[in-house]
Amino acid sequence: MQRRKFLSLGAAAAAVVTVLPSSLTATDFRTTAPKAWEAPTSKEAIEALFGSSAATDGKIEIKAPKLAENGGAVPIGIKSSIALTTIAIFQDANPRSAVAVFEMGDNGVMDMMTKIKMRKTAEVTIVAKGKDGKLYSAAQKVEVSIGGCGG
Amino acid sequence: MKIKAKLNGDETEIKLLLESPMAGKEEAATKKIEESYITHITAKVGSAVVWEASTGPFLSKDPYFMFKFKGAKAGDKIVIETIDNKGKTEKAEEAIK
Repeated sequence: MQRRKFLSLGAAAAAVVTVLPSSLTATDFRTTAPKAWEAPTSKEAIEALFGSSAATDGKIEIKAPKLAENGGAVPIGIKSSIALTTIAIFQDANPRSAVAVFEMGDNGVMDMMTKIKMRKTAEVTIVAKGKDGKLYSAAQKVEVSIGGCGG
Repeated sequence: MKIKAKLNGDETEIKLLLESPMAGKEEAATKKIEESYITHITAKVGSAVVWEASTGPFLSKDPYFMFKFKGAKAGDKIVIETIDNKGKTEKAEEAIK
């Protein structure tokens, strides 16, 4: 089943959702929400991905440097004590806002980290969907001394 | 790709390092290279997808991820599969210890 999903990506086909025995559906947001990836601003990208940008603050912790010396690899940590299913990273430093969308399994522990590129000082926003279906968000401004987007 | 899979009590911590230029439209034009970036990653233990990511070129070059989940035991294997914008796939696995 995985194979078929991968092959269909190249043909830009309609969304192929593979239902696995576990409760998690392997969703490729690049095929199910392509507009989210083209949107230049975080607000537009959030709305394209989640259908709304109305989210509750305070339940998600972002761990990011206040000043990033290397804009090519800015560490972004995301922690939360509530059960989240879909977590997305957005920023307003680059030509388009969406960076990545993560999905956790039922047994996911909300403590993750990755590194992103930012070509200039901007706000990084995390928006996540809780198991309760509600949206939660957190934002932090990251200052970038040397831009890292190859430009 | 490099996978580190560590069990701490009932929690598994995965550190994943993938190889990819993660060069999107602008970067490819500036550096005169082809657009090349991973678009989707799945992490499975057995038949269950424990974590997955739809990814884009604004992740750092050679993208790194740390994520955690419960429910696995020592000796279980985590299988990581990735696909990039050209449809090229990679797969690797690591035992959780």
